[in-house]
Amino acid sequence: MKQEHFRAWEFAAFSAVTLAALCLCVCVGSVNISLKDTLLVLKNAVAGLPQGNATASTILLSVRLPRVLCVALSGASLALCGAAMQGLLKNPLADSSTLGVSSGAALGAVVAIAFGIQLPALPIAGTMGTAIVFAFASMLGILALAYKLDYSLSTNTIILIGVVFSMFVSSAMSVVITFAADKVQQITFWTMGSLQGSSYFNAAVLGVTLLLCGGVILLQSRELNAFAVGEDTANHIGVHVRRTKLLVLIAVSVLIGVCVSIGGTIAFVGLITPHGVRLLVGPNHKRLLPASCFSGMIFLLLADLIARTILKPVELPIGVVTSFIGAVVFVLIFYRARKG
Amino acid sequence: MKRILALILALSLALTLFAGCKQEDASAQSGAITVTDMAGRTITLNEPATRVVALTASDCEILYAIGAGETLVGRGEFCDYPPQVSEVESVQSGYDTNIEQIIALAPQVLLMSTMAQSEAQVKQLEDAGIRVVVSDAKDIAGVYTAIELIGKLMGKEADAAAVISGMQQTFAEISANPAGDGTQTIYFEVSPLEYGLWTAGSGTFMDEIAVMMGLKNCFADVSGWAEISEEQVIARNPDYIVTVSPMGGADFTPEQEIMGRAGWETITAVQNAAIFNLPDNELSRPANRLADGAKLLYDFITAQK
Repeated sequence: MKQEHFRAWEFAAFSAVTLAALCLCVCVGSVNISLKDTLLVLKNAVAGLPQGNATASTILLSVRLPRVLCVALSGASLALCGAAMQGLLKNPLADSSTLGVSSGAALGAVVAIAFGIQLPALPIAGTMGTAIVFAFASMLGILALAYKLDYSLSTNTIILIGVVFSMFVSSAMSVVITFAADKVQQITFWTMGSLQGSSYFNAAVLGVTLLLCGGVILLQSRELNAFAVGEDTANHIGVHVRRTKLLVLIAVSVLIGVCVSIGGTIAFVGLITPHGVRLLVGPNHKRLLPASCFSGMIFLLLADLIARTILKPVELPIGVVTSFIGAVVFVLIFYRARKG
Repeated sequence: MKRILALILALSLALTLFAGCKQEDASAQSGAITVTDMAGRTITLNEPATRVVALTASDCEILYAIGAGETLVGRGEFCDYPPQVSEVESVQSGYDTNIEQIIALAPQVLLMSTMAQSEAQVKQLEDAGIRVVVSDAKDIAGVYTAIELIGKLMGKEADAAAVISGMQQTFAEISANPAGDGTQTIYFEVSPLEYGLWTAGSGTFMDEIAVMMGLKNCFADVSGWAEISEEQVIARNPDYIVTVSPMGGADFTPEQEIMGRAGWETITAVQNAAIFNLPDNELSRPANRLADGAKLLYDFITAQK
């Protein structure tokens, strides 16, 4: 019988690998800064001492570190959302990107830019708020349609609805752009979105959201396990089906909305990470969800490291790297699963 | 996902376009105008064109500069200079180019860049009797070629030559008395940090203009237009920053946005507030106004000293 919870050593192992990935990503970047200088800068920063090497310290502390933090937190959020959606819908291909929820969130952000929806105090809150609302609305719309068409939510239905919804969103985006001709350039730039320019503020927003929404999702591990057996069974053993669903869906929408408004749509993280993790720790959500968080961090950190350094000084969009690795890994997993 | 799709689409379109650019037989007629466009295709007109659709902003600007603005019956949606161009009917350009609309406007000549259209689309247009002319300048020499080409098509060779010699004169004046001594560095920001930094590397007209005024392009080791790392800008520490981004809001300018970026305070250009914004695309379009942009930048840099 498999262990219900994370064993202490497993927790320690995941933490250690994640920490190692974090350190690697802080030490290696587009500009070469020697390990000695890096450690010195970090030591001075922690101790509150003045920095000797101004360029190295600004690059590390103002540019690289906030970006690495944003990447890690986005990776954790996306993977956790993927794992939760897959558990909730009992479908291995369910994810915010395959379902079209990320596209929905992106549409929300574009609408906010096009019509100047903004809070004066916090410029980012306008796009973030509409992204969250649109993510949730898309999720409800997609699921309502899916249940109407096919109550069992088979893989084909999910994929088809996701494709159709993404097309719908991209046409809606074109319509919005047509109506907001003066914002065309801004919107075009936004859809090319980038993790460049990530700030500590972005990282803090992601961190707080992950703590709250991720906490809500993690607390539903038992219920998600029950869903895996079947909704009726879950109901019989005392799971509040409707409430659990709503809670998870809201938490996922908020997380996706925040991630998309900060880093744009990054595909494949939420899809392949939980798959890989399931091979390692098994399907129990009490183990799967936290493991997905760690693995999502590690995966996105390494993908971003490649995006930042492989063609330096030129950068690749991170989505190119995740999709490239993701597609290959996905085929491998699919192949193994079919054979096994 | 979307980005990859866009990339594949762009590549395949580029391939089909190049494949479609076969030479045509030049029928030598008396009084006919024969030109070779910038994709190497030969185009023949019986007489100077009087109805033209131009899809790129730079070609629109060139048409007006050589005094052929009134021949324009349609323009790409991004064309915004000179102001009277907005009275011309707007045509959807780029990947979603509206072929029907162009055919309905019945131009003799369609000016467009490479990359935008597929072979099938070009054929549709040519079957409708429209001469598709590719104008695709990457550097200053290319701009001269484009102006000459368009001048010939419009029967305005003399005006075209005058525009070119005006540009050459401005550039010559700048090179004769360079603003820098080859050691100062300049960084061109094409897209702002929030959307990923894009810059102009070697082989671009921006790089040529930097060299012309005695400055070194920070990213001369990058070729063409590219997204570069923020870390690299800080490490390369430019003396001047030029931004052509259309960003900024009601409460801040693009210069202020750059000055306020975390970590950029170590950059010499930020410390000296040596940041120059060209909001009207003087320096971002391969057209005649490049000379104006170069002059503005030259004046800004000489005033800094």
